[in-house]
Amino acid sequence: MISMNQKLKILPPTIRDKKRYIAFEVIFQGNLVREDIIGMILDASLYLYGACGTGKFDIWVVKLWNCSKAEYPNNSNNEKKIKGILRCRREEVDSVMAIIPTITKFRGKNVVFHTLGISGTIKSATKNFIKL
Amino acid sequence: MEGKYSSRTQLKGNFFDLHVHANPELVKEAERLGFAGVSLTYDFDNYKSNFEEFKEIEKNSNILIKKCLEISCKNPEELKKKVQKSRKKSDIVMVRGGDLKINRAVCEYRGVDILSQPYRGRKDTGINHVLARKAAENDVAIEINLNTFLKTNLRYRYRIISQYRHIIELKRKYKFPLIFASNASTKYELRNPQDIFALSHCFGMTMEESFDAVSTIPEHIIEKNDKRDSFIMDGVRTI
Repeated sequence: MISMNQKLKILPPTIRDKKRYIAFEVIFQGNLVREDIIGMILDASLYLYGACGTGKFDIWVVKLWNCSKAEYPNNSNNEKKIKGILRCRREEVDSVMAIIPTITKFRGKNVVFHTLGISGTIKSATKNFIKL
Repeated sequence: MEGKYSSRTQLKGNFFDLHVHANPELVKEAERLGFAGVSLTYDFDNYKSNFEEFKEIEKNSNILIKKCLEISCKNPEELKKKVQKSRKKSDIVMVRGGDLKINRAVCEYRGVDILSQPYRGRKDTGINHVLARKAAENDVAIEINLNTFLKTNLRYRYRIISQYRHIIELKRKYKFPLIFASNASTKYELRNPQDIFALSHCFGMTMEESFDAVSTIPEHIIEKNDKRDSFIMDGVRTI
């Protein structure tokens, strides 16, 4: 009998999907948690490309960082800035990048996403674009 | 310039946003996002200049700030009067489109730099092959306003994308200048150049076309207006 905890063996690198990591920042008046950001990106993707398109992207939010006030001097009106890394398939990176600027509202308040850059690894995305 | 949008090497250039509301916070945010210049848009009918304040900001930063007057009018005669008045007050003259008569008058009038949102309040694009040819002859830029797309209800965004696609098809055939502008009044409406390129991919634009729309053509409009006073007639200017 196969136990539920048993994991599949990782695919060899040649068969694995090639990934790209998009570093982004979010500015919002209020608190955001990881689930909110994942929800916003997925909803925007579904509205822009539909289920069929979104299914091809393999989209996922890998990591998020809360920025302190010192790193964001233009801060006003209790705004919070969060930086994060979004993972997607290499072939679909152009389409995924178009999702990010289409997000405008969350819970009736303004929100803005900006792309910081694209990288092939999480490490270099963190080093070059997140810069914390 | 061919290839993927996501390639960072292709994103070197001076980027301009020629339709930003006059707000010091917006200018600082635009500079942070990587714009080399912005044009602050004032409404012609409610024009009160606070431009001196922005001159101070320009001195203390690396961003180029220009003044733009946005005209809204009901008929072509009113348009010409308002354009002549606003030429003395501003660097760039923009006319709000939407009405077919106004769209046509603007495309035929060399004195205007930008026709803003020819599709405003319409189901079609607001320009056809005739207007496209006139706009190309008279060097009138057509503005694609990203705020229209971003503020439209999610259910109806497909219509805006369709309108943009038709404008872009006309641009390819008749080669009139096309620009992207944000029409931002808060910093939540500003997008960085990289995001604008990604969005333009949705509208079916190539990398070269979107680069021209954010960098080359706005730069050409600014340069043209800097030299406008020295022009005597087409092709002749005093040195």
